[in-house]
Amino acid sequence: MRILVVEDDSDLNRQLVAALTEAGYAVDTAHDGEEGHFMGDTEPYDAVVLDLGLPTLDGLSVLENWRRDGRTMPVLILTARDRWSDKVAGIDAGADDYVAKPFHMEEVLARVRALVRRAAGHASNEITCGSVRLDLRAGRVTVDGTPIKLTSHEYRLLSYLMHHQGKVISRTELTEHLYEQDFDRDSNTVEVFVGRLRKKIGSDMIETIRGLGYRLGEAVDG
Amino acid sequence: MTAEPQTAEPRTGSAPGAPVRQRSLSGRLVLVAAVWSTLALVIAGFILVGLYRAAGERAFDTQLEVHLNTILAEMVSPDASGGATPGVKRPENLPEPRFSLPLSGWYWTVRKAEAADILFASPSLVGDPLTLPPLGEKETLSGFAQGPRNEEVRFLQNRIAIENVPYVIAVAAGTAGFREEVSQFARQVGLTLLAFGAGLVGAIFLQVRVGLRPLSRLRASLSAVRMGDAESIDENLPREIAPLAVELNALILSNREIVERARTHVGNLAHGLKTPLSVIANEARANPGPLADKVDEQASIMSTQIQHHLERARMAAQRRVIGVSCEVEPVLDRLVRAMDRIYQRRGIGLKLSAPAGIRFRGEKQDLEEMSGNLIDNACKWAAAQVTVTVRALHESGSARSMFELVIEDDGPGLSEEERKEAIKRGRRLDETVPGTGLGLSIVADLAALYGGRLDLDRAGTGGLRARLVLPSL
Repeated sequence: MRILVVEDDSDLNRQLVAALTEAGYAVDTAHDGEEGHFMGDTEPYDAVVLDLGLPTLDGLSVLENWRRDGRTMPVLILTARDRWSDKVAGIDAGADDYVAKPFHMEEVLARVRALVRRAAGHASNEITCGSVRLDLRAGRVTVDGTPIKLTSHEYRLLSYLMHHQGKVISRTELTEHLYEQDFDRDSNTVEVFVGRLRKKIGSDMIETIRGLGYRLGEAVDG
Repeated sequence: MTAEPQTAEPRTGSAPGAPVRQRSLSGRLVLVAAVWSTLALVIAGFILVGLYRAAGERAFDTQLEVHLNTILAEMVSPDASGGATPGVKRPENLPEPRFSLPLSGWYWTVRKAEAADILFASPSLVGDPLTLPPLGEKETLSGFAQGPRNEEVRFLQNRIAIENVPYVIAVAAGTAGFREEVSQFARQVGLTLLAFGAGLVGAIFLQVRVGLRPLSRLRASLSAVRMGDAESIDENLPREIAPLAVELNALILSNREIVERARTHVGNLAHGLKTPLSVIANEARANPGPLADKVDEQASIMSTQIQHHLERARMAAQRRVIGVSCEVEPVLDRLVRAMDRIYQRRGIGLKLSAPAGIRFRGEKQDLEEMSGNLIDNACKWAAAQVTVTVRALHESGSARSMFELVIEDDGPGLSEEERKEAIKRGRRLDETVPGTGLGLSIVADLAALYGGRLDLDRAGTGGLRARLVLPSL
């Protein structure tokens, strides 16, 4: 799962990145509206945390531009102006949720989690696939009730596959959603992670579809 | 909209201790006009009567002169034998019969200029003297004198020489009839002018009323703005007071701008403070320890304080704003649609039922704030359904028309104790649900500021029923 944080306050930006990374997301960051808009326009994010008061291009315009160009990723807006007209303007511009400043990080994490989950069509914070159970809130994975330990990249991989279970996911898509922008992307490393994950959750859980990618669980339409 | 008459009295003038109000402008205009027109009419009356009298006297004198000439013509008689008065005889056959009637008021006398003795006198004098002012050196003299009956007479005396003997012929006539005529004329003039004056004052009164009508229109318009019935004063007024309306509108606009500026400052302050507060609190939470706990606690207090004082500042600013109102339905529609976007994926349905045409007598932003907090709160706690209902109220005994906004959810609801607590300032009933400031106390404060109220009750579904009563147009 890959998240974009657009926040001009460098301290808050750092904190958001740290907390989201800690929660198992690959996080990219932008410090002004234009940079944020460009990144959201060119990279496939699973969710965006967008501050409304941004230099160079305000958050509302960034959001409106994305939506106009057909970018549908879920967007959580942060606003210090907690008047309803501001919140409603944000939602009308295409935001999926809002958090008013000052906020507790847990709140932002909970909202982001919910946005990503709901975007993939899951109603609950627990996603299961066969014997594998992923607790999004705790960031914990169990197989047949036994907790297993995963590295952050393994967790991201499993989380992405669990969110999109039954669908064939190409290596490119996985690469795009697992790594931060500056990461040295090598699709072979995806293979390595898939191999390690198979050892931990059972080799039959992830199927390799030759020439197309990977699939977790039973095939579904679309 | 209610059809009830607007009975709220505008609070002008008669406050106790207020300075005595100036006499009304129209009263002043009518009074001044009445005084000068009365004065003018009285003067005109005197002039008219004076002219009439002078004309009458001239006519009288002409008549006396005719009689005098007749007497002279009758007197001169070349055949009259010598004696004391050669060529002169007693005038007879005068055409005016009143000279013969005793004490008729019409008299004549003839005497020699240098002697006081009367030569001839009219029979009407019946031997009484006709005392007139002496002619002196003058050739002719006219004026008023007293007749034998002490009546006023007008006389004319002429010095005339017949056969080189100077005579003085005097003719006098009572003025009673003339006086009567003049005073009758004066009465008629007085009555005519009185009627004329009354009409004039009436016309002035009408003119002032009609002329000053734009002023009362301006006043009504201003009052409507103050009551929130209109956004600005109608500037379609006469040239003289149109600038006043324009200035007033500018004042109203500037008032709104000041409020808007204050709000912008408040927003900027909020933005400036809230981000660092987020940073401090999050930093503390990321590095647990006693210091972190203290920082977190204090940051939380600061945050509450900021919120509290910002709200107060906002309220203080908006109390001075006048003449604003907004349609309720579009505001709620926009809010409900926005909330629906957020909450429908959590399986919560929102239903709005609001008739069009109800207008909130106040700031749109405040309506958004109140209903937004209530709807958001309901959505956070609801199990599946939130209903928002707007209805016009016709409360008996209430001068202002009001409307109610009822928001019900099917969540766990609140106990009576909790409901009371919730409306107190700054309460957070449940710290475990993120972002549950409830905001109910802010809503209650705002509603009270507008002369409305917030009631919390138990909904039929067991959840919370929030009823907001606010003034409408």
